[in-house]
Amino acid sequence: MRNPIGFLPAGLLLVLVASSCNNKKDSPGLEYMPDMYRSPAIEAYVDYGQDPYYFGDSLAEAQRGTMSARLPVKGTIAFAGNEADAAYNFPYPYPDTPEGYEAAGVDLHDPIPMTTASVEQGKALYEIFCMHCHGATGKGDGGVVAKGGYPPPPAYDGPQLKDLPEGKMFHSLMYGKNLAMGSHASQLDHRERWLVIEYVKYLQNDGKMPGDVAAATATDSTAKAPAAQ
Amino acid sequence: MVSKRSTGLLHLLLAFGLLLSANGVRAQVDQAQYDTGEKVFKANCASCHKPDQAMTGPMLKGAKASWDGKGDIHAWVKNSQAYIKSGNAHAKEIFESHNKIIMPPQAVSDADIDAILYYADNFAPKGAAKAVAAAPTEAQPTSSSWQWLIIVGLLLLLVLLSLGGVRTQLVNAVREKDGLAPEVNLTTWGRIRRWAYNNKGWASVVVLLMVVWVSVLTWNFLFRIGVYGGDTVAHYKPSQPIAFDHTLHAGKDNLNINCQYCHSSASNSKSAGIPSANVCMNCHKVVAQGPKTGKEEIAKIYAATGWDPEKMAYTGVEKPIIWNKVHNLPDHVFFSHAQHVAVGKIECQKCHGPVDTKMDVVEQWSPLTMSWCLQCHNETEVKVAGSDNGYYKEIHRRLAQTPMGQRELRKYLEDEKITVRELGGWECAKCHY
Repeated sequence: MRNPIGFLPAGLLLVLVASSCNNKKDSPGLEYMPDMYRSPAIEAYVDYGQDPYYFGDSLAEAQRGTMSARLPVKGTIAFAGNEADAAYNFPYPYPDTPEGYEAAGVDLHDPIPMTTASVEQGKALYEIFCMHCHGATGKGDGGVVAKGGYPPPPAYDGPQLKDLPEGKMFHSLMYGKNLAMGSHASQLDHRERWLVIEYVKYLQNDGKMPGDVAAATATDSTAKAPAAQ
Repeated sequence: MVSKRSTGLLHLLLAFGLLLSANGVRAQVDQAQYDTGEKVFKANCASCHKPDQAMTGPMLKGAKASWDGKGDIHAWVKNSQAYIKSGNAHAKEIFESHNKIIMPPQAVSDADIDAILYYADNFAPKGAAKAVAAAPTEAQPTSSSWQWLIIVGLLLLLVLLSLGGVRTQLVNAVREKDGLAPEVNLTTWGRIRRWAYNNKGWASVVVLLMVVWVSVLTWNFLFRIGVYGGDTVAHYKPSQPIAFDHTLHAGKDNLNINCQYCHSSASNSKSAGIPSANVCMNCHKVVAQGPKTGKEEIAKIYAATGWDPEKMAYTGVEKPIIWNKVHNLPDHVFFSHAQHVAVGKIECQKCHGPVDTKMDVVEQWSPLTMSWCLQCHNETEVKVAGSDNGYYKEIHRRLAQTPMGQRELRKYLEDEKITVRELGGWECAKCHY
């Protein structure tokens, strides 16, 4: 009869091997056919690149160290797909200075006619990008302010913002305003910014379509193409 | 007994004394003036100033003292630019040392300004910062029970073997006493073989059961490979370089920021997007301290973006944050967030689970298997009526052209709803191409 204690190390070894599968907490684990799972071409956020099984660890490691998320080349203008929208992607001409802010307030105008439909689109965007600070009705009482103690933005219909020109609103979305409001240029494109601004104007007018404003913008945009982006 | 009572008394006295002294300090503050100041401050100044620290504008505490003998603080607050133009040196100095940010003219009275400055000078934070409700974190069923089964099984085997050894020794002792030769010393394997030879029926049943058992285990194991979410496996929950808490930012009871504020490409791109650090900085220029981890985690964002919280400016030295990707779809399947979010109007939580209420660390909630996709495509109704989506119109036009298409159309409408499957959501090439 063999000494049964001899099985003990073997058993311990088995337990160790079985549990070692879970050692790497951040590794997702096994996968079938990695060469079909992983794209050799760069995909958004997939930074592991080639399969280390076929191409060796060194290449996989090197690819892991490169970033797939990059800034476009300086001066790139995004392709809009049609001519009418192309102007939205043109560079913003006003610099991030007090002078630029004033100039935008005078020269920059909303190229999109303000209609019920465009205000609806603006509302959807407003609820995603603005509401948590500026509040559902633009009083500056959103969740981040009310619950998080964030510095409250002035109310849209208050003395500071009541008569704010739309160009200045656009400028603030582009570069941010003061310390408390950051730039939203990476989240909203030019067209979306104008839609948001239309909804802000709608809120400033007590939740009604400002008739004269709509008429004025409509004639303005038919007079000249949306060049002043 | 006596000593106990005396310490009790001592504590009482101490507490009373503290209360008195606290009241004493508060009593020196003119509460009415303080409250007026707070009200006016919150209405007019709070967007850019804080009483006890610098923000867009300078800290207001001590502002009054700094103006002593250098000019008129009332004129400065009411119209700072005009006051600079009037040639006051101190005004010019403050303007230039605070990044030349123009403070717009303020319509406040001298009494209001005095109240604001009084409030700032005597500012005492109301208790601790509002406690933000921390969501309870439920432990995920992570322990794999089969490992424990193996351990228990091994232990039982050990006990059985040692019992077997004891039995052999006892039998041999009896045989020795009876004057017989000891039993042939078979190995364990040998004894199993002898038993199997003598009981062929039972042995084959045992072998069959073992084969079935192992096959089922293998089958189940193979089905779990590459599946990192759902009900059958432990959810994949990697650690992250910054302890970003979704419950704090997106939770309905907390800050309630829309998911798409940060993941803004979800509505117009294949990928929902990991927000670049400038999006964090939209708020975190001001918020340098969190309710759970204090300054530690937010300092990591500052390190990544090169923000100097002391000087309130970017240094230009950036260091990318390398997050661990949680949801990994294989390259051979196509998935687009834009289709599902913008057109399908699917809630984020439908696939990602209660990220906003339960996940302080994000995990993969759904299995992301093909059967999971197909099940949803089979059940989900597409609101075709009233939609201005050209794709639906084109499908309808093509179907209505031929009698076969019309038959198909009637078949779709039998249950009075059009599902994703009926519009091609089960076609192989919709996702695999």
